[in-house]
Amino acid sequence: MDFDLESLVNVEQTFYDDGYKDGYDHGRIHGLIEGRALGREKGFEMWEEVGFYEGFALMWSAICEKRATKEDTRIVHHTKQLLDLTAQFPKVNPSSATSSDLDIPRLFRQIRSRYKVLCAALGIRPTLKAGGTWSPPDENEQEVASGDPGPREERKKVWLIDPSRSGRQGGDDLSF
Amino acid sequence: MEDDWADDTTAIRDSEWAKISSDFQNAGYREGITAGKEGALQEGFDEGYAETGVPIGREIGNLRGISSALVSLLSSPTFVPEHGDREQFLQEARLISMELAELRFSDVAPPDLQAEQHAREHLESADVDDRDFDVEMNEEVKQKRDVEGLEDLMTRMGAGSISSAEAKARPIKADVAKLVDRLKSLAGSLGIPLPLP
Repeated sequence: MDFDLESLVNVEQTFYDDGYKDGYDHGRIHGLIEGRALGREKGFEMWEEVGFYEGFALMWSAICEKRATKEDTRIVHHTKQLLDLTAQFPKVNPSSATSSDLDIPRLFRQIRSRYKVLCAALGIRPTLKAGGTWSPPDENEQEVASGDPGPREERKKVWLIDPSRSGRQGGDDLSF
Repeated sequence: MEDDWADDTTAIRDSEWAKISSDFQNAGYREGITAGKEGALQEGFDEGYAETGVPIGREIGNLRGISSALVSLLSSPTFVPEHGDREQFLQEARLISMELAELRFSDVAPPDLQAEQHAREHLESADVDDRDFDVEMNEEVKQKRDVEGLEDLMTRMGAGSISSAEAKARPIKADVAKLVDRLKSLAGSLGIPLPLP
């Protein structure tokens, strides 16, 4: 009778491996679901604010092009500068993209101050609340919206769970 | 196995064998779950960010920005529209802005089909261990939902009426399309093209 002694010795390992594989497949589903839920939430949060500035600048640019006064040329220039910045805001998680030199909190600060400059040029008050989780663009609040690296361990981890994949070690400045 | 039930020895041997195998399998399963989950979190996050959160956030954000610009334009008494009444346009722009401000991600987010299906699988599972391993909600996401639930409660209490008929339903995706149409028609009345991507 053929008897595979090797397989009997390794039988415990084989059972373990079987279980591990099933568990891994199951855990993967949970990881995807949980990660996705958080990623959706973060992407929405970032872009409902950036998208606000973008829409605001686009609309004013359309208004000015129609009016086309001398003053409007100056305003269009401001809207262009703001739109240049919003176009740089990542639409995919920068930790998985190639260019990892992106400083999100800094970009957020620049966008907010460009928005305020545009409002000043228009002679209107910046909107402090556009609804939802939109946070006021003032200096104290901005750290909260752009990722407080302090107590929110989870954020940091998820925005950049695997530093090796992004090819950089200190991912802290990218945290959200 | 069914055929062997008559034979006691075989039954005992089988049950011991089953115990050993299930002990090791369970140990492997537990470790596998943790490893599999950690390995997939980032992938899920990136997918949710790029494919759902960003496009929807941007769409809503754009609409809010556009309506905010229209409100500020129409608020200026020096602005005189070619046709129609400025005050009336302003009122419409304000109404649109207010409705847009009320929108939440949870109102317009598409369901996560994999999550729903998997939650059902857990409920139907006969395995007790498996049922314990529930689909958890991320702490931060959960907190946000709790706050929204509280807001809804306050709104209902604020309405202060016993009848439930006027409890306002949450907006849905179709309501966003209606707001886009209203913005388009407002901008159209002003003779300005709506800058929607």
